[in-house]
Amino acid sequence: MKRTAKGVLAAVAVASITLGASACSSPAPAGDADGPLTVWVMGDSGANFETLVADSGIEVEVVAIPWDSIDEKLTTAVASGSGPDILQIGLSKLRTFADAGALMPLDDELADHPALSPENFPSGVAGTSTSVGGEIVSVPWTSDTRVLFTRTDILAEAGYDAPPATWDEVREYAKTLTARGEGQYGYYIPQWDAPLPIEIAWSMGGDVIDSDGNVDFDTPEFAKAVDVYTGLYADGSVPVNSDFDQTQGFISGVAPMLVSGPYLGNGISSSAPELDGKWQASPLPEGDGGSVSLFAGSNLGVWHNTDQKDAALDLLEYVSAPEQQLAWYKLTGELPTVSSALEDEELNSDPNVKVYTDQLATAKVLPLVSNWDGAVGTELLNALNAIVLTGADRDESLAGLYAKTAGLSNK
Amino acid sequence: MRNRLIPYLFVSPAMLLLVAFGIVPILVAAVISTTNMNISAFANWNNVDFVGIDNYTKLFNDPDFWQSIGNTGLFALFGVPAIVLISLAVALLLNSSQHPFFKALRAFYFVPAITAIVAIALVWGYLYNTQFGLLNHLLSLVGIPQVQWLSDPALAKFSVALVAVWRGTGLNIIIFLAALQGVPKEYLEAASLDGASSARTTFSITIPLLRFAIFFVSITTTIAWLQFFDEPFVLTDGGPLGATTSASIFLYKEGFRLNQFGYASAGSIVLFAIIAVITLIQLRIRSADDEY
Amino acid sequence: MSTSQLVRDRSLAKRRRVLVILIGAALGVGALVTAFPFFWMLTTAFKPQREAIDYPPTLLPQEPTLEWFVTLFTELDFGRYLVNTVAVVLIGFAGLMLMAMAGYAFAKFEFRGRRWLFFLVLATMMIPIQVTMIPTYLILNGLHLTNTLVGIALPTLVSGFSIFLFRQFMSTIPTEMLEAARLDGAGEFRTFWQIVLPLSKPILAVQIVLTFISGWNSFLWPLIIASDQKLYTLSVGLALLNQQLAVNPSLQMAAATVMVVPILAVFIVFQRYVIQGFALSGLK
Repeated sequence: MKRTAKGVLAAVAVASITLGASACSSPAPAGDADGPLTVWVMGDSGANFETLVADSGIEVEVVAIPWDSIDEKLTTAVASGSGPDILQIGLSKLRTFADAGALMPLDDELADHPALSPENFPSGVAGTSTSVGGEIVSVPWTSDTRVLFTRTDILAEAGYDAPPATWDEVREYAKTLTARGEGQYGYYIPQWDAPLPIEIAWSMGGDVIDSDGNVDFDTPEFAKAVDVYTGLYADGSVPVNSDFDQTQGFISGVAPMLVSGPYLGNGISSSAPELDGKWQASPLPEGDGGSVSLFAGSNLGVWHNTDQKDAALDLLEYVSAPEQQLAWYKLTGELPTVSSALEDEELNSDPNVKVYTDQLATAKVLPLVSNWDGAVGTELLNALNAIVLTGADRDESLAGLYAKTAGLSNK
Repeated sequence: MRNRLIPYLFVSPAMLLLVAFGIVPILVAAVISTTNMNISAFANWNNVDFVGIDNYTKLFNDPDFWQSIGNTGLFALFGVPAIVLISLAVALLLNSSQHPFFKALRAFYFVPAITAIVAIALVWGYLYNTQFGLLNHLLSLVGIPQVQWLSDPALAKFSVALVAVWRGTGLNIIIFLAALQGVPKEYLEAASLDGASSARTTFSITIPLLRFAIFFVSITTTIAWLQFFDEPFVLTDGGPLGATTSASIFLYKEGFRLNQFGYASAGSIVLFAIIAVITLIQLRIRSADDEY
Repeated sequence: MSTSQLVRDRSLAKRRRVLVILIGAALGVGALVTAFPFFWMLTTAFKPQREAIDYPPTLLPQEPTLEWFVTLFTELDFGRYLVNTVAVVLIGFAGLMLMAMAGYAFAKFEFRGRRWLFFLVLATMMIPIQVTMIPTYLILNGLHLTNTLVGIALPTLVSGFSIFLFRQFMSTIPTEMLEAARLDGAGEFRTFWQIVLPLSKPILAVQIVLTFISGWNSFLWPLIIASDQKLYTLSVGLALLNQQLAVNPSLQMAAATVMVVPILAVFIVFQRYVIQGFALSGLK
């Protein structure tokens, strides 16, 4: 009995020592002074990134991060102080990453690395457009935008030989298309698409932040945007169920017009090739202020305490070269950000892609307000969806939105 | 003379790990809940300030929080008995024969419990889709109009709960099946010799002997459903308009997605307290049956 | 036996058979309905991309293809993820014995603090996992166990759920059997090894399956503890395929199938041990 007790104690002791010993033989931490650069790439594009930098002369080790898990990964990395050397940053997360102190300021480095200079990129995303706290902490890498997609064949049958060019036309065409029959709609508004009302407000010539950088929705232009949004629903042109599938809706013709991104275009091309020639992308509809769309996409940043700053910046320069930007497009379908790459002839030979690249010239990023998605985006959707889906009072709902978002700033 | 240390030795390796990875985090969360810690804390620890119970007052004044608590309670109230009853019933039925067919069926009932949530989200999201889903397609073949499985606030709760029940029964069926092996065959034979019907035997003998398993399944299922997360998250993202937002989803979105760690920790402690109280009540009710 | 008794027995037997057949039919239908989504996942894994998002949907693939499975193992590194996942599962089995010991102690021993310790065990089941994330990571970081397979398996090596389960089942072991062994001079550990564990075979079988499942599906810890993609497990690999739009459900279903089929195989092998009766001969 006593022997058994000692035996068990001994076993536990041995186990603890082994655990401790094995811990000492762990591999060297990432981000060490010689050795490959660790790069965080989102989603399943890891292998593509390795292909992209294969000839750069810089050794790279890619770690793929699932899109839905970036928060967990970032938090534990900053908490422990050890992260990658370079990381891909979705624009919606840029402010969060900067606030966490994860990113190295790059202002002083730009002089030595001309390829990274803001003038190489569209104004909507370069330099101060994506700086946080007055510092440039990232470099644009891939771009994404929102344009109008229409089923030209269905529009033709309804008597329209071109996609609508203004929001008023959108509303008019949608009404006609809805009249096709039961279960048919004219336009699809995704209930999770928080940037959409903001894009409409931009195209009315307004903005959602004032000159001091504070969020301000209480503007005539935004009111016009709300009119468009609620008007489409009031006409019955928009499906009201939250699980409407936008791809299926477009392919089947149930919802033949919607605003979406190049990913939709790629999705339709690959899964419904029989529709070739029956649909097209066109510029975002205009309001009084022209056609202004969203500049989305990803930037690249350098981890704040990396040991390999110079190599990291060299790699950033490499992937910012127009040839590499276009090569990335060929590998993944993600659009470049470098202006000269965006003007490339071969790229623009596909008319739909030309629509995207033209749109990027005037596109804007969402304000870099702390927690934009949760604090502003969600409240915006809640307010609008309450009005159109549950019949809440418009003024009351909007007043609630203004109250909740007042005081938020991008400074 | 039995060594007094023996039980402690048996218990300590496991307890050590549990304390390190289970209890310590709870304590840390309790401390963080009294601060306003968020992601900027990692940039500069001075950004963290002690705020006392501010996070808790903010939480209790938040109508979304109360809605999520209400949803969680509703789900648990209907989901837990449903799972316990269905699992027990299916286990009893599966156990009624040793025929290979019955044995083969076990795997079918177990399958939902082991399928990855990503696959479940895709399959069920597809089945439930209003315009393009299979269920509505089948209904349309018999003339029933489209049902908004996941878009109607009331119906969405049911649809999401259904998927969770579908998933939750598998494991519990297996646990009941294992427990049924502990029912001495002599008792069952004696009962049938006395002329008792199989229904009577089941209710009067088998089920009482399964007390410990029923107790286990009830407690663990309750704890799991009070932390309901996966199914509403992947099927409806807590929607429509918060109708399926459980307390865990509320915490995840408010706290973790927005990196408001202080607020999230406060919410976690509140949820933990609720679960602890309910579990204690369940333990008290059953304390007479703990010993065998 | 009299003729009337024979007749009665035979009609009883016949009624039983009919009952069994009815139950079997009901269970069969239930099983098909329950397993239908799984079946759907399986068939979608073999459909070409276009067919997967077809409406109205097709049940069986019209042009079945293995391309997605090939993609997973050639382009997407699923072979390596598979190896890592198996390693994590095996490490998890080491925890099984620790949990059995703890469950046994809670079930069959009176010791001071037992109530409180057991409540602590239950308490660990009540906290949302995200809250444990940062403290756990910092602990592992301090032990230099980040980016190792041991570090990935450690947080879930022991679970309150399993200890609770062991405790419930072991409490039904008749104490007389244990006393008899002790009177015979057996040490505590020997009693545990030679009497308690064999009597616990059904629940051990259940726990083996459970440990396998939780190790196999582990997602959060492999994600944040591995700073190197080479240590990712299958769940993380599957999550990498999640994008804003499900443009390739077939690929995701193929990955999900790869994840499910081994678990199903383990279950089918072990389930007969789960349902193996243990006789309590001679004892009341």
